[in-house]
Amino acid sequence: MPTFYLDDSEIPFTDGETILEAAMSAGRYIPHLCWRPELEPHSSCRLCTVTINGRPFSSCTQPALKGQKVECDTPALLAMRRAVIQMLFVEGNHHCPCCEKSGACKLQATAYLLGMQDSHFHHRFPVRMRDLSHEGVSLDRDRCIRCEICVRASRALDGKNVFAIHGRGIESNLAVNSPSGLLKGSAISPDDAAVRLCPTGALIAKGRGFESPIGLRAYDREPLSSIELREYQARRAVHD
Amino acid sequence: MIQLAGTALVGILEEALDRHGKSPQAALQVLMSVQRALHHVPDEAVEYLSSRLSLPPVRLRGLVSFYSFLSRTPQGEYVVHLSDNITDQMRGSRKLGDALCERLGVRLGETRSDLRTSVHRTSCIGMADQGPAALVNYRPVTRLDDQRVGLIADLINARVRLEEWPPEFFRVESNIRRSDVIFRKPIEPGAALRASLDRGGKNLEAWEEDLAPTDARRHQLERGGAETLKEIYRAELRGRGGAGFHAGIKWQSVREAARDDRYVLCNADEGEPGAFKDRVLLTDFADMVFEGMTVCGHVVGARKGIVYVRQEYAYLHDHLQGVLERRRARGLLGTNILGSPLDFDIELHFGAGAYICGMETAMIKSIEGRRGIPRRRWPLPVHQGYLKAPTVVNNVETFACAAAISARGGAWFAGIGTPQSTGTRLFCLSGDCERPGTYEYPMGVTIREILRDCGALDAQGIQVGGPSGALINRGDFDRAVCFEDLPGVGAMMVFGPKRDLFDAITNFALFFQHESCGLCTPCRVGTTLLANYVKKFERGVGSPVDIAEVKHISSLMKNMAHCGLGQSASNHLMDSLQKFPHIWESRMKTQEFVPAFDLDWALEEARSLTGRTDPAAHLPARP
Repeated sequence: MPTFYLDDSEIPFTDGETILEAAMSAGRYIPHLCWRPELEPHSSCRLCTVTINGRPFSSCTQPALKGQKVECDTPALLAMRRAVIQMLFVEGNHHCPCCEKSGACKLQATAYLLGMQDSHFHHRFPVRMRDLSHEGVSLDRDRCIRCEICVRASRALDGKNVFAIHGRGIESNLAVNSPSGLLKGSAISPDDAAVRLCPTGALIAKGRGFESPIGLRAYDREPLSSIELREYQARRAVHD
Repeated sequence: MIQLAGTALVGILEEALDRHGKSPQAALQVLMSVQRALHHVPDEAVEYLSSRLSLPPVRLRGLVSFYSFLSRTPQGEYVVHLSDNITDQMRGSRKLGDALCERLGVRLGETRSDLRTSVHRTSCIGMADQGPAALVNYRPVTRLDDQRVGLIADLINARVRLEEWPPEFFRVESNIRRSDVIFRKPIEPGAALRASLDRGGKNLEAWEEDLAPTDARRHQLERGGAETLKEIYRAELRGRGGAGFHAGIKWQSVREAARDDRYVLCNADEGEPGAFKDRVLLTDFADMVFEGMTVCGHVVGARKGIVYVRQEYAYLHDHLQGVLERRRARGLLGTNILGSPLDFDIELHFGAGAYICGMETAMIKSIEGRRGIPRRRWPLPVHQGYLKAPTVVNNVETFACAAAISARGGAWFAGIGTPQSTGTRLFCLSGDCERPGTYEYPMGVTIREILRDCGALDAQGIQVGGPSGALINRGDFDRAVCFEDLPGVGAMMVFGPKRDLFDAITNFALFFQHESCGLCTPCRVGTTLLANYVKKFERGVGSPVDIAEVKHISSLMKNMAHCGLGQSASNHLMDSLQKFPHIWESRMKTQEFVPAFDLDWALEEARSLTGRTDPAAHLPARP
């Protein structure tokens, strides 16, 4: 099996695998928010950026090459990943203490993982539309990081095409495919992959709330990285 | 207001569908036609078109919300887009715009209550050599001054049709001030194609006797393409769009691709502020551009070419269609070109206002009728481009050069310029120079020589290659413009000795904030953070801490952004900090950090909502 180097460790890979996939298979976690193993890579959050010969690449799209030397956990890259997470926090309105997703939120867990202590940049405090119209699903755009996992999952896994991104730049936002533009009247259902896979509290299934006490929430019990590595390897074992 | 009965609306929509087709790729073209006819894209139109184009309404609304020239809310019957590039501002465009709004009784960015007119600011419309300029219903009006602005207001107020406006308003000059070996004497239409076809050998019987005549001719065609590719390699032609990639390598990759449907795309989305050479090429040398595309079609085995033209140049539509028609009539386009088995045709595709669509992969998405979001790096367009087929994407100037190379040979072209930058280059001079316009020089010309020719030797600085390029000062004037030294597109905005360059970098920072597509975090958030820092200095509350932040964000964007826009969106800030530190320092009143938050400033929204301008609506200034 061919191998490449991720920092100091030698990582085996199969032809066509990306750097991120090969690293995950080998038990090395590269932080990411917009990547999901069951979806096409998107390379928009940029957290998984690594450098090869000093040049940056997103590891979720970059194919692994034999003998390649990939730098991943250098102090410079860790600092830049932390800054990207901080950017996501100041761009929206993320109030962890009162968010249902707290403790099971990938954005929050990744911030902890990267050692984010404060938000550093100026908060934007944007005004965004919340959508509570649907009986089973709520959409809080304040928490949306525009990873487009729901857009892709709704299309590829749910076969529904409920979401899209509208607008441009800092004003871009999550749009709903229904005549009124509201979740009510769309094809969404609380058990959709689009809802389940949302890495933040932007999309939440209604009807339950704050079920796990602090200390017993998903990422209290086991770190995000170890859960995702375990799930990825189990998934690979099934697919291989 | 255009009150539309359902049937009238359907008529307009069906006409747009007839013109552009009902494929998903036609979506953007159809929407732009609707925008022009109705001055917005109403929700009922989206509903109707959704079923006719077989696209969900959410996708069509996504297009309307992404492209600047499309709008969901009604615009006036006369829509004015004021070019807001720094070169326009330097000639007083902001004041002229205010005067226009006042004469029209409309607020900037809004529509007059009788729906007669709306006035907006827009990014550079490609008239930097004859600004201040504006688009009126997507037609450029150049050389705005007090008198012209007054007349425009009168004509709009009197509801005079654009066809009856003084033609002088719409006059666009090519302003070619210097031409060199390529454009001084453009090749005759057909010369490059004939040369390319002839390279396959004129004497059919001389080779492959056992092949049937048609097969022999196909073989001959194939060989001609291979030989022309060698000429492109020999010429060492590099892309004129900015990245400087070798055209030969691109063409060969597509030629060798294992699919039969291949495409040749010409990038005429000249959005870089201060650039206008594509406008000049499409106006005066369209034959050469189309011929270069056709030669490329011959080399790579494509049957279709598409020119993606920015909406700001849509006024060239009839002219370009005329050139295409003439070429078809002469057997230079269509089936059996010049009697050979070569089939190739070209169609025009227009953008709708998005700088990002100048990015190769964003342009492909836009031609496919999608939002112009750059896609991931792999696979490359030469392997999976337009409609996932192997695709060559080159700049307008690159195709014109390719035509010259096919006609006159690669060695001839390689003999011009420098070893790594062959041929000539078109430069667009604007700003504080005596003779703004287009200049052709062999690659490797120095900045000083260009400045001397255009009458700008007293310049304090030049933005080379547009806002994403490099801001240089006098110490750089002996540098050469070529891939070895100062690369980038050939736009040069000149700043005279009295200019405050902070105005320029403010303009550029706001430009990038407006044009970031929003896909990736570092660019989407970073361009906004940077614009806010620039505004903070403008308000006189910047400090060294803030400069450190600007550098930090810039480095983050350079390393982490998804595409070239984000990676280069802070170049002007870094260059200005290095080459013109005084413009930042003079705005620092303190060495200590001062919060950006300003209580009085924060009341601005409340003041504007209540229409208050009196002193009592302001808080006392900070001590």
